[in-house]
Amino acid sequence: MSILTFILFLPLLGAGLVALLPKTAKGLIRAVALASTALPLLCAILAFLSFNGAEAGPGGYKFYQKVAWVTALDINYQVGADGINIGLILMGSIVSFAAVCVARSIQDRTKEFHFLMLIMIAGIMGTFMSIDIFFFYFFHELALVPTFIMIGVWGRGKNKDYATYKMTLYLTLGALVALVGLVLLYVQSGAKTFDLIALQEQLRDNPISSDAQTTIFGFLLFGFGILVSLWPFHTWAPVGYDAAPTATAMLHAGVLKKFGIYGLIRIALPLVPQGAQAWLEVLAWLCMGNILYCGWVAMRQKNLNKLIGNSSVAHMGFVFLGIASMNLIGISGAVLVMIAHGFLAALSFGLSGYLYDQKKTLDMDQYGGALRQMPFMGTLLVMAMMAGCGLPGFANFAGEITVLFGAWKSLPWFVTGTAWGALIIGAIYALRAVRKMLHGPVANDTPPLQDAANYWIKLPYVLLVASLLLFGIFPSLLTDKIRTSVAKVVKSIEAGTQDQETNLAEESVKTELDIQLAGQD
Amino acid sequence: MSGAFILAWMVLLLPLVSTVLISCFTLKNDKLSARISIGAVLAGFVMSLLIFLSAREAGESNITWISIGNFQATLGVKLDNLSALMLLIVTGVGSLIHWYSQGYMKGDRSYSRYFACLSLFTFSMLGIVLASNFMQMFIFWELVGVSSYLLIGFWYERPAAADASKKAFLTNRIGDFGFILGIIMVWAATGSLNFAELKGVFEANPEILGATAGIVGVLLFCGAVGKSAQFPLHVWLPDAMEGPTPVSALIHAATMVAAGVFMLCRIFFLLSPDALQVIAWTGGITALMAAVIALQQNDIKRILAYSTLSQLGYMVMAVGVHAPGAAMFHLTTHAFFKAMLFLGAGSVIHALHHEQDIWKMGGLKEKMPATYKTFLIGTLALCGVPPLSGFFSKDGILAAAADFRHHGNVFLFAIGVLAAVLTTLYMARLVLVAFHGKHRSEAADHSHESPSVMTGPLWILVIPTLFAGFLPIESAVNHVAGLNHAGDHTQAPLAMAFSVLALLIGGSVAWSLYSKAESDPIANRLHGLSTALKNRLYFDEIFNGLIYVTHEAVSKLAEWIDRILLSSFIVKGLSNVVDVFGRGLRLFQTGSIHTYAFLFVVGIALVMFFVMGGVL
Repeated sequence: MSILTFILFLPLLGAGLVALLPKTAKGLIRAVALASTALPLLCAILAFLSFNGAEAGPGGYKFYQKVAWVTALDINYQVGADGINIGLILMGSIVSFAAVCVARSIQDRTKEFHFLMLIMIAGIMGTFMSIDIFFFYFFHELALVPTFIMIGVWGRGKNKDYATYKMTLYLTLGALVALVGLVLLYVQSGAKTFDLIALQEQLRDNPISSDAQTTIFGFLLFGFGILVSLWPFHTWAPVGYDAAPTATAMLHAGVLKKFGIYGLIRIALPLVPQGAQAWLEVLAWLCMGNILYCGWVAMRQKNLNKLIGNSSVAHMGFVFLGIASMNLIGISGAVLVMIAHGFLAALSFGLSGYLYDQKKTLDMDQYGGALRQMPFMGTLLVMAMMAGCGLPGFANFAGEITVLFGAWKSLPWFVTGTAWGALIIGAIYALRAVRKMLHGPVANDTPPLQDAANYWIKLPYVLLVASLLLFGIFPSLLTDKIRTSVAKVVKSIEAGTQDQETNLAEESVKTELDIQLAGQD
Repeated sequence: MSGAFILAWMVLLLPLVSTVLISCFTLKNDKLSARISIGAVLAGFVMSLLIFLSAREAGESNITWISIGNFQATLGVKLDNLSALMLLIVTGVGSLIHWYSQGYMKGDRSYSRYFACLSLFTFSMLGIVLASNFMQMFIFWELVGVSSYLLIGFWYERPAAADASKKAFLTNRIGDFGFILGIIMVWAATGSLNFAELKGVFEANPEILGATAGIVGVLLFCGAVGKSAQFPLHVWLPDAMEGPTPVSALIHAATMVAAGVFMLCRIFFLLSPDALQVIAWTGGITALMAAVIALQQNDIKRILAYSTLSQLGYMVMAVGVHAPGAAMFHLTTHAFFKAMLFLGAGSVIHALHHEQDIWKMGGLKEKMPATYKTFLIGTLALCGVPPLSGFFSKDGILAAAADFRHHGNVFLFAIGVLAAVLTTLYMARLVLVAFHGKHRSEAADHSHESPSVMTGPLWILVIPTLFAGFLPIESAVNHVAGLNHAGDHTQAPLAMAFSVLALLIGGSVAWSLYSKAESDPIANRLHGLSTALKNRLYFDEIFNGLIYVTHEAVSKLAEWIDRILLSSFIVKGLSNVVDVFGRGLRLFQTGSIHTYAFLFVVGIALVMFFVMGGVL
């Protein structure tokens, strides 16, 4: 049995156990939830460490496992990891564990919350390891439904209902549009399978017609895009995350949201590359909306969570720019940003949740000099803000800079705009938040803010910061794995777009890819 | 890997280890924190000396940071005359300032945090110095920026300090924006980020950047404009004086602000003549403008800050007139005497319980003899009195500017001479008002000489201030920059004559104005101009206005659109439509699972529509 299956089923098992436990056994519920995310975390670390040595299965996927499910429709439980999702699985496991740690503050209906949270985590894990498109989609929905319930029931603020309503509406719509695209793909490919590997082989030899590709990519782009808060479909994110309970915001903003991007890179780019090319310019313009427009919106926010929410939307722009570059460096950078942003979003929402629990408000003007009262958590918030504005040493910088380099040749003006957004606008709102909340004279708090009292409370935050630093200082731990798999994606893009007038495959890139592939095998 | 490289890696990493140790383990133990931090930089100094004296070959040692296709980013240590010299300056001056800080920061409740930040700064600065490639340069460029941010805002509860740190970081970021674009363009044209490789590429094909050469040069220079506080991004440096004074000495006088000049020398080979013109004029304007503003500042640290700006302008101008050797020479001597001046100012401020207005000082000559003597030596060196170090290095720059047959320019030369006159004027004003005459405040009357932990470093800095002028730095650096033809300019008689003349004029004017003054005599005579100078020529106001009409306005607009149009109008409108739609479908809705089933059906129906309807 694949180690990935453990990562997927342990949280499900945990959810089942939690469901059986009595409501009053809060300690036991917490213990089960922690264990059923800690063990998958260990498995994920093990998988990550043994990735290079592991045997590659069909399609180059490692830790591969296939169990037939509906043979008539050729739907199979099929999991595997390559360079693109191994990092996501690791990131997802770390964030999941951290979110469960942070969920200790949920006192009301603890059992139900933990049950839903574990289901959501299992869904998240399943999404990122499935090689079967049906399960890829199914697991996303499995994670999404608990998300809505958690926000609706345990959410906060007077806008809670509106936020739940809006988020549900948007995300359902996005998932629906993406589904249309996926079904179209299924029908048009004629492969009669949801198996990604088989689909890829089929389409390599018999590509879909150019027009159909354009339609399919359009559906996928906007469907997945809405899920990742592509401008101008982003307004659900700041409102939704502001209302969401801390653990839910961490899990959704950190991991589940990446479903859309992952789908674009894993499915849309290699399978309908000509369609991607047709939409490339639109995508580049929309990503300016994310980076510049949402950055400007973030500058005006008075509430920390709304600021983080908008900044998180802005960060998605880097990923879209990387995808729009359609080359090895840019897409690898996009994957790296995806992973880095997962840690960062979880850390930021985790910290804001910590502050909210103490002060019951995130209005930044109500804070002041908090660094004096809570040096440890304050320092972490400074680090989160710095990571958010692209400080080297944190993984976000490594990803963002790679995207900028990758996109330069085809999209220089967009790179210029992105760099402005990253270096200036990002820094303005990040430093404003630090200045308002952490610096300046100490606010008269009654009772005063408390710093994290013990290691147990610090653990989730430290884990997330440590991950950001580890992959920021040694990004090649990830990029060495990512580039090999992205090189394959780029190869299918090149093969698929070769007969087009605008030949994307430049000599230099091509030979480099060959070297890269040869060197890796 | 030869011994020198192992040493260089250790020099680089020791301060990082110190930062990590202090922030993770010894925050509660002030003494130990200070020892760790000082130990790291002192060990670094000793090893730098060994590197400097060893018979090393120029070369580098790299490890991979990111490698994807032809995006090859490495981290490494590059050793040549240029980096070996900078290593000595950073660790040497750094050691003294670390030592001095023990006295200056005594009793501060965040003593350990101070040393952790100082170590972080040392690490970042060494990373720039040893950088073997553009990516590393940029990474440490940013890290230096953040350590500066942390140290300027060290007393973050004071609003002025918190604001100053934010301003410094943001202003630097504007420069970095140009810098990174320049780096990407160099990479896009050549496929390499490594300095040594790039040098080879440029030697083989000087025209490789083609028409963009000028733009690339100017963009790269933007990085230096931010970090070395050149016009028009100079506004952050005077505010940065809100940080502790040893920090001002180390970061905002001796090392970090010189990083821009160092970077320009490092990449001198790829700067086009057009770009160098821009660089020369930016430097010249900064040198003159800052010297003029310094004339009417009353805060002892701000006078020194504007003086630093002005001297940095000199160095940048030197690079612009094809004299990177002269720039590095002045950088070196300036690092010593300006660090000494700042530490002297710190000693005064410490003794006067944080009084910084020179008109509230006076007569400190007798009260603080050691501080006075060292401060005077530093002043003389800064003004360029022969045979102190500043004389030779400033003369090198003036001589390069006066080299009209090559790349000199008579206007730049005139600016240089004028700035030299003004330098003598404002420094003599500072010394005469603060140290001579009568006590003008009680604090000045009750002042005492600082403890030896603070005066010790002052005396040590006297040695290089006196003798650094005799080092053959100029030719050694020119050799690295690939300018073998440029000889020592120090023989140029024209420059030397004007330099001495400037000294005499400035000195005598200052003596006549300030030797007996009780208040500033020129403030009344100049009226409006004086007010304008006191307000630093209104640069801050202009920038605030600019930011207000650009980013703030756009940001307001964006937020308004987001709130009104997208959130309320469109989405609520859409949701109303869905709501009405939903009411009609309520019969089908018994729970969320059913909704989903319904949506699936809709999806499939849509697909059928597309497939059957022949849309495709």
